[in-house]
Amino acid sequence: MDIFLQQLINGLTIGSLYALVALGYTMVYGVMKLINFAHGDLVAFSAYVGLTIFTQFYGSNALNLVNIVIVFSLTAIVVAFVGVLLERLAYRPLRTAPRLSAVVSALGASLVIQNGIMLIWGPNMEIFPADVFPATSWNFGGVIISFTQLVILVLSAVLMIALYIFINKTKMGTAIRATAIDQDAAKLMGINVNRIIVIIFVVGSMLGAIGGLFIGIYYRGLTFDMGWLYGLNAFIAAIIGGIGSIPGAMLGGLLLGLFNAMIAGYISTEWAETFTFILLIVILILRPTGLLGEKTAEKV
Amino acid sequence: MNLKKLTGALALSAVVASSLVAADTVKIGVQAPITGKYANEGQSIENFVKLIADEKNAAGGLLGKQIEVITCDDEAKAQKAAVCAKKLVNAGVIAVIGSYTSGATEAAQTTYYRNKVLQTSDGTSDSLIKRKYWTFFRNSFPNSSQSDFTAEYMVNDKKYKNIVVLSDYSSYSAGLGDATEASVKALGGNVVFRGKIKSGTQNFTAMLTKVKAMKPDVIYYSGYYTDGGLLRAQQQQLQINADFVGGDSNDNPDFYKLAGKAAEGTVLINFPTPEILPYEVAKKYLAAYKETFKMNPPSIWPVTNADGLRAVIEGIEKTNSFDTKKISDYIRNDMKDFPGITGPFNIRADGERVGAKFVVYKMKNDGTKNVVSE
Repeated sequence: MDIFLQQLINGLTIGSLYALVALGYTMVYGVMKLINFAHGDLVAFSAYVGLTIFTQFYGSNALNLVNIVIVFSLTAIVVAFVGVLLERLAYRPLRTAPRLSAVVSALGASLVIQNGIMLIWGPNMEIFPADVFPATSWNFGGVIISFTQLVILVLSAVLMIALYIFINKTKMGTAIRATAIDQDAAKLMGINVNRIIVIIFVVGSMLGAIGGLFIGIYYRGLTFDMGWLYGLNAFIAAIIGGIGSIPGAMLGGLLLGLFNAMIAGYISTEWAETFTFILLIVILILRPTGLLGEKTAEKV
Repeated sequence: MNLKKLTGALALSAVVASSLVAADTVKIGVQAPITGKYANEGQSIENFVKLIADEKNAAGGLLGKQIEVITCDDEAKAQKAAVCAKKLVNAGVIAVIGSYTSGATEAAQTTYYRNKVLQTSDGTSDSLIKRKYWTFFRNSFPNSSQSDFTAEYMVNDKKYKNIVVLSDYSSYSAGLGDATEASVKALGGNVVFRGKIKSGTQNFTAMLTKVKAMKPDVIYYSGYYTDGGLLRAQQQQLQINADFVGGDSNDNPDFYKLAGKAAEGTVLINFPTPEILPYEVAKKYLAAYKETFKMNPPSIWPVTNADGLRAVIEGIEKTNSFDTKKISDYIRNDMKDFPGITGPFNIRADGERVGAKFVVYKMKNDGTKNVVSE
């Protein structure tokens, strides 16, 4: 039993990270019907930015809540800025172009960011210091949960709830949902669609930035091509949950993390990735719109 | 352009000009991961080759010819390695030093063999020798010698009851893992689990949790430091009360950084590290390396590659020819106890380096380690 609970904790931790990243994919898709393939690389970029800010300001030791908040906020701001820049340069000029052009542009942007990371920080592995968060961990009858895991679980949950409230209970959230349904109608209602899209990129990038920083702090080793790994998994999570659906991305992320941990723990580590794709295919066959995706009639 | 850059450019053009004048050169290739995960190892191999070439050139060159070093970055990837092999052959090299990983070495072997180009690598996978190419010889020791030593340590010295063997999927790591499992079983040891991780996936907690239930006394990992450090850190985070023994490729400063405080007590099995090599020639070359590049080589591997190059140079000088077949024959049959930086250098007829010597190290979390047994 404690083994099962331990796998649950492992799965939920990585699942929260997938969910944070998946939200960026799903929000952009929801409003722009565009898969932002550069999002995973933006997440990798945020881990590097976070590491740089961290080492610049605090060297190794002096750690307290204020420092952590500053590092997280600065990283989120820098990454949000890059996210908005990305939208302005790579996607806005192609907004009325065929969808394929935007997809190619997204793939190009992904390569630019990845190689940008390599040029700025070099091709070698960069390593987060081991003591960003205290090394404390708690043992509940054989089930271990570390301080870092707890922070990841709690903060991810808080961010997701905040996002849910923002989208469903605020005026801006209503405008975002309206834009997602029909951009032209939203424009006629006086919604500034450009502004909505910028907000989507700011929010998505910031969530990705937090996710990237957590990945850096939890796993420590950063490589310039790591965005691919997390981007792909988060993208699958978004599809499983129903791309375009915000609760879907959260559910998809958590489910994928759990599924991975359980397969690796109980069946075979070697096959965990294969089973991920089998799960994806099964879900797409049974529910082509994903678990929480809405069925909409495709206009032909 | 400031003055410093200008003089730099002038110096560079002078070098280019002089190399054009001395057009009669002999070309030595370096095939190594200059970028990518193992970049610091690859760059150090290139550094060491250049150091030895420069020394030779300053002393009048090789049979009167200047040595020209041509480097190709294989990123430790098999496809890139195959491209590198063609590139270096076309450039007209007579010998190639590298690569760092067995996979990249193996992918390039056939091209060098067909073109009669000598190749020497620190790759330790036993499969590197199986094709019996006369062009290839190893400058480190094979996995099987390391696995016997490791099994002896775990089964007979430490008397571990439950042994877990982990590797990644690379030909080096999986090969060493399999060899260690076999050696442990041959000594009557008990392997409770043999698993493989996918290098670079970072999250190993699922497998480690599974391993925890088997109550292991020791986790042996035969892969590279980039994953080994994380495995050790996550093992400690899950409070798995087992020793951690790492194969040679965990011996890298980045292991400590990744493992953090968990590095304390980790055991490594490797060649003697460069700093503790007892030989005169080792002291000379390592001091020269430090002076030129302002740092030590990251591991023993660039040093064994340097020995590979020195053996080739010895072969050329002793046979007084650039005929690769003659050089290979000399290295295999006539060279006895050549004074290598990493110890006496002897190559068997099949290209295997013989006379393996390993050391058991224990790590401390401040990045130092001490020898616990030889």
